[in-house]
Amino acid sequence: MSNRIEEKIKELNNKGEKAFITYITAGLPDMKVTKKLIKAKEMAGIDIIELGIPFSDPTADGPVIQQASYEALLAGADINKTFTLVEELRKENVIVPIIFMLYYNTILSMGIEKFIEKCNKSGVDGLIIPDLPFEEQGKINAALAKNDETILIQLISPLSEDRIPMITENARGFIYLVSSMGVTGQSANFHKEIVNYIKKVKKASKIPVMMGFGIRTPKDLENVSDIIDGAIVGSHFINILRESDFNINVATEYIKDFKYQINHM
Amino acid sequence: MDNNKTYYGEFGGRFVSESLMNTLKEIDEAFEKAIKDESFLKEYHYYLKDYVGRETPLYFAKRLSEKYNTKIYLKREDLNHTGAHKINNVLGQILLAKKMGKKRVIAETGAGQHGVATATAAALFNMECKVFMGKEDIIRQAPNVMRMEMLGAEVVSVESGSNTLKDATNEAIRYWSKTAEDTFYIIGSAVGPYPYPKMVKEFQSCISREAKAQHLKAEGRNPDVVMACVGGGSNSIGMFAEFIDEKDVELIGVEAAGKGIDTDEHACVLSIDTSKLGTLHGMKSYLLQDENGNIKLAHSISAGLDYPGVGPEHSFLRDSKRATYVGITDKEAMEALKELTRLEGIIPAIESAHAIAYGIKKAKEMNKNQSMIICLSGRGDKDLNTITDYFAGKGYLN
Repeated sequence: MSNRIEEKIKELNNKGEKAFITYITAGLPDMKVTKKLIKAKEMAGIDIIELGIPFSDPTADGPVIQQASYEALLAGADINKTFTLVEELRKENVIVPIIFMLYYNTILSMGIEKFIEKCNKSGVDGLIIPDLPFEEQGKINAALAKNDETILIQLISPLSEDRIPMITENARGFIYLVSSMGVTGQSANFHKEIVNYIKKVKKASKIPVMMGFGIRTPKDLENVSDIIDGAIVGSHFINILRESDFNINVATEYIKDFKYQINHM
Repeated sequence: MDNNKTYYGEFGGRFVSESLMNTLKEIDEAFEKAIKDESFLKEYHYYLKDYVGRETPLYFAKRLSEKYNTKIYLKREDLNHTGAHKINNVLGQILLAKKMGKKRVIAETGAGQHGVATATAAALFNMECKVFMGKEDIIRQAPNVMRMEMLGAEVVSVESGSNTLKDATNEAIRYWSKTAEDTFYIIGSAVGPYPYPKMVKEFQSCISREAKAQHLKAEGRNPDVVMACVGGGSNSIGMFAEFIDEKDVELIGVEAAGKGIDTDEHACVLSIDTSKLGTLHGMKSYLLQDENGNIKLAHSISAGLDYPGVGPEHSFLRDSKRATYVGITDKEAMEALKELTRLEGIIPAIESAHAIAYGIKKAKEMNKNQSMIICLSGRGDKDLNTITDYFAGKGYLN
């Protein structure tokens, strides 16, 4: 079986479209709402969903996602319940690619083999693990290599420089280009060399390059929209949800508008 | 860099975001060069001697030895400038930071000792300094906050998660990943991504280098037992370093058992049967965690041992059976603190009192011709409020 993310990338390439990806924290405010949101996001035309697994010590995240993670944990969210959620969504014919964004200890705690097996079975298409750099990926790659259902997404940062060829060489799906130094949610404060940096990554990569960290509106992408293949919004999307008390219509409008604008800039 | 060199057996590694990988590589290169560089070492040893006051004495605790019928030596790290072993490592790292052209240093702190040491060195070398400290610890350790601010450091209150050392470390890592281009993170314990555990060991190994020679001079041989308290494990790895290859020397690390290892309130990571491997703060090591891999809160009366993980080399030393790890409760530590104070006129830090407490237990298995060295990692001045409240039966903040 092929991979849903890679299928989606093919589809976007054929249509000549840029991708729009949003992040939500699983279990914020509870799993029922998370489920409703994922369905609504799919209906609104989101290309890929990044689903955060709450963790006690999210060192790659800024205040918004830290707080979301903390509240979700208090509300009882955990990895097993999130697997169940994805399984249910797949049974209910939700086909949008879902990527787990999680910290490595959540995987180690369950055991790498068992974790990957559960990803394959429940319908998790990709993994983003912010504290697992290239050099430490050997064990998880061995477990992922058994089939195509789940793939590992590679991250690149403004300081990656000489590491870019190594990281992009066998990367799958898309490259997650981190727009700035630091953590998530720092409001459009992109790295000073952002354009050159993206160009370097684009040159090395055979797969699309999606930019994330600090993006709020399509306008934030004015200077880079020509060169990136898609955008990822996390903290700001959580803020929008909170401000509207998790109103599905507000989320839907935001996604539709962003997806339209990023393709008409 | 060969990834294998970042590991101690299966422990260690670099579990950090991609944005820090080149920074770690730069630090590793600068560090390896520095410790082979005569002029760097000369400068480092100059400050250890004339600023810190090394070498520290290996004091024969006569009354304690008589009472427990074995020779007990105390390595007096409490006599260092700033009151603990922490300064040994901070000076090494700040000299490295300076060499690398960094403008700012940051640190995490729990009890405040590492923060004070970092603020002190930053004043000495005229560098900007930010210390991340949990909101709870800022209240518990007010005098150390005042010292840091007096020294010109900015103390950043961390208000996320449990508001303690673990969260201060998280926040320091976040700040570092934003500013790594001009900021050096001085980690205070033998934890973190490689090369930090190796650096901390290197800069703390003066403890055992001196102690080994001092003991040889006094007794004409190696000690039978070497002991130190273990939170993240910096004074203990420094105390063990020169003895690891001396197989006749028994190495014992003493963890904080808080209210008891059968309760949920302790900080024992290695001295329990159910140690669980995981990744936190850039390293793979044993950690206190729940069934989903979320990190649990550690508990100890001593803020310096109150950490839910342990340095990777300690995990390796335990699993390879080169060192053993034991737990001492709050109560046992406080009794030992009183004993040392009354018998020897030394008020130890509560952290170090844990090692004294196990030393007293261990002495009962030993004879009068045998000897042990206990690392007295810090002095008790910072703990006076906690000590007074504890003995007045008022309990303590934690």
